[in-house]
Amino acid sequence: MTSLLTVSNLVKKFGGLTATNDVSFTVEKGDSLALIGPNGAGKTTIFSQIMGEVRQTSGTIHLAGRDIGGMSTAARIRHGISRTYQVPRPFSDMTVLENIRVGLMPDNLTQMVFGRVDHDREEALALSVGLAPQDLHRSPSELSMGDLRKLEMARTMATNPNVMLLDEVFAGLTVGEIAQISELIQSMRREGMTFLIVSHDLKALEPLVDRAIAINQGQKIAEGSFSEVMDNEAVVASYLGG
Amino acid sequence: MLQIIIQGLLLSGLYALIAVGFTLIFSIGRVLNLAYGAYLMIGGYSYFYFSQILGLPKIAGVVIAALIGVVTGLLIYRLVVKTLKGDSVAIEIATLILAVVLQAGVVLLFGDASKILLPIIPGVVRVEGAAVTYNVLVATVASWVILISLYLFVRRTHMGRAMQAVSMDVKGAAISGIDPDRVNMVTWGISGALGAIAGVFFASYTQLYPGMWVSPLIIAVAVVIVGGIGSIIGTLIVAHVIGYMEVIVTSAIAPELRGVVTMLLIIGVLVLRPKGLFGREEL
Amino acid sequence: MNIRWYHLALWTAFIVGMFFLPQLVSKGTLRTIIFANYLAIFAISWDVLSGRTGYVSFGHPFLIGLGAYTTAILTKRFDVPVEISIPAAVLVTMVGGSLLFLPALRVRGSYFALVTLAFMELMYQLVQVIRPDLTGGTRGMSGIQTLTRGAVNGYYLSFGLIASLGFGMWLLMKTRLGTALSAIGMNEEAVRGSGLNTTKLKLAAFMLSAFVAGLGGAFYVHYLGSIAPRALFDINFVFTIIVAAILGGASTIIGPIFGAFFLTFLLEYLRPYLPGAERYFIYGGIALVLYMFEPKGLHHVLQMALSAIKGKSRS
Ligand SMILES: Nc1ncnc2c1ncn2[C@@H]1O[C@H](COP(=O)(O)OP(=O)(O)O)[C@@H](O)[C@H]1O
Ligand SMILES: [Mg+2]
Repeated sequence: MTSLLTVSNLVKKFGGLTATNDVSFTVEKGDSLALIGPNGAGKTTIFSQIMGEVRQTSGTIHLAGRDIGGMSTAARIRHGISRTYQVPRPFSDMTVLENIRVGLMPDNLTQMVFGRVDHDREEALALSVGLAPQDLHRSPSELSMGDLRKLEMARTMATNPNVMLLDEVFAGLTVGEIAQISELIQSMRREGMTFLIVSHDLKALEPLVDRAIAINQGQKIAEGSFSEVMDNEAVVASYLGG
Repeated sequence: MLQIIIQGLLLSGLYALIAVGFTLIFSIGRVLNLAYGAYLMIGGYSYFYFSQILGLPKIAGVVIAALIGVVTGLLIYRLVVKTLKGDSVAIEIATLILAVVLQAGVVLLFGDASKILLPIIPGVVRVEGAAVTYNVLVATVASWVILISLYLFVRRTHMGRAMQAVSMDVKGAAISGIDPDRVNMVTWGISGALGAIAGVFFASYTQLYPGMWVSPLIIAVAVVIVGGIGSIIGTLIVAHVIGYMEVIVTSAIAPELRGVVTMLLIIGVLVLRPKGLFGREEL
Repeated sequence: MNIRWYHLALWTAFIVGMFFLPQLVSKGTLRTIIFANYLAIFAISWDVLSGRTGYVSFGHPFLIGLGAYTTAILTKRFDVPVEISIPAAVLVTMVGGSLLFLPALRVRGSYFALVTLAFMELMYQLVQVIRPDLTGGTRGMSGIQTLTRGAVNGYYLSFGLIASLGFGMWLLMKTRLGTALSAIGMNEEAVRGSGLNTTKLKLAAFMLSAFVAGLGGAFYVHYLGSIAPRALFDINFVFTIIVAAILGGASTIIGPIFGAFFLTFLLEYLRPYLPGAERYFIYGGIALVLYMFEPKGLHHVLQMALSAIKGKSRS
């Protein structure tokens, strides 16, 4: 049986800086894996390489046994993987529903022009991530950080992924909003969604994941259950140093 | 043969001087300043006004032109670039509009007709049968002196290193205590001065007229596309590639085609090396 | 599609109003309006590409010129009938334009802007040196076949063009294609992250833009009856197109039309006071200040005013 997502010997060099240094890991279907590490460790860069937004210097990425490491971002998304961004940057001059509409669009010009807009699906997605009905026709500039993260989740879910990569899901949120997003992730896990999650809020992260890997200076320094990784000396040192 | 080498050297030196102020802003502020060509126009006209109409010494004319360039650069940064808060599309459009406004301003002050700029140093020297005016020679020497000083400034001084840091990583630089705003101010000021001085030489090379800002802007554009952004050395090399190509085409094929090969070079580089010859990762 | 009854009512009002216009205004004004109509077409063309996706074209006259020169050369030098030369001109603009612009769409937006500016200059130099017997060289061409006689007929032709192109583009931009193109302008990375091939979308935007520019350029040259490279491949012309689009309101259809009329009449009324290039000083200044402080243009200002009035009457 092949794993759903397999990253092998990933290396990324930005000029003289090695942002990802020989990183390998796998995520099984239905699994939830935490990716932790201090600021600048290289977590976001790993996400960008998995999505094809940054091309790896070497190494391979497989999704359900298929080598996706050379595909365009759009093709990877068609194969069932998508991500949220650390800093939500929604389409600012559109309503919440229109933002989700972009996520739902088929990558086909004829269908884009002649196909019908599925308003029900847009609304259902918005409500499923916990956005309030009165927010649906608002502009993103009127939303709180928590609602922006929800919108980001909805737009990502609209592409119908099997694996979701969540970057700094809790950054900038209130305690109440953290609880809401956690509940959303938990319910999606129960429905079988596979996750790879980056967060600095380790307390909020712990209940959401089965396993964790720790990254420091682009290198994987620990892997195992969440508590094992958190107790690892190298991990503790990296957080103190970082 | 020797004539081509000399001609190429002279033209390339001028092109490097024209382009360097433009690439400086592109690499440090990540914005395209389409009003850059207008610095050259302003520099040329300032020099014309102060040294030729008011009769000040030529060197004073150059210095005043440079100062006016600095002020123009700072004003554009303060009033346009900062107001638009780094929205690169808006800055491109706003600086283009500004360039046209400045051109119209020059027409208002000096009229539509082209002016003749007297050579900075009159006289001709013969090299291997080729006539080289002292004026062009001075322009080339000055451009080398300016480029070398700029290189030393960026490499050796505290401010220069801050500029390098900001060009690589704005956030990182800010964390290590550099004020990106101050660095930007200094850069825009230097760029204004470089453009204005280039304008004095460019105008004495060709002529002084209100539409004169377009072709140096195109030269700067070509250097940026072909070279990618970044180093002063890279700018120098690409300026020589373009300069020599134009000189060779002019003397070996047909003078009318000199601009055409530059454009073909642009297309070629975009197809084969979209990041430019000395390009950077994130572009 | 998000089309409301008042949208259609506005289009009907616009078309009916424009239809009866020749009864109301002088021939001179009509000629000014013809120019405004063509400017509106060029501004719509610019906006579909640049206003929406944020890939700014500073070389739009390059596309317009491809269309204009193709039909001018075909009709004047080869006696091709306009029924064939104009479609050919549109085709040449779309194909030729994409061959040259495509490489530039692969790189970041700022580079695209630089390349387009360079291409306009290239075109200017090329028409002067390559086969001047065909292009007319530096002096351009005159005596090109005109399609209409007199201001009224010229007006109706230009009005037919702007009405059909404007309405057609408006319908198209109301679909998800329009939404996707605007989304690229706001955050291209997120469009890619939504599973869409942005290169394909940008190419579509470019093709639409070239289609409108080629068609507009071809009809314009058959209205003028002449073509002059220095006036066509001119940065001031680029400036006029862009300012018309953004002053009216980028990323809309009504905006560029409105902007083109506003600008044309402003220029016309400034003429008695400022005869020369100085006019650009005033009007560029106005455009700059408006753009910096109301980047969404007059269309947006009107919309805000309307909704303020509506809000008041409701309360
Ligand atoms: N496009 C880029 N160009 C150059 N360096 C980059 C780029 N993206 C990230 N980096 C560098 O790579 C390192 C890892 O960054 P990142 O992946 O964002 O870390 P994290 O998400 O773990 O905080 C940092 O040192 C960062 O400055
Ligand atoms: Mg990160």
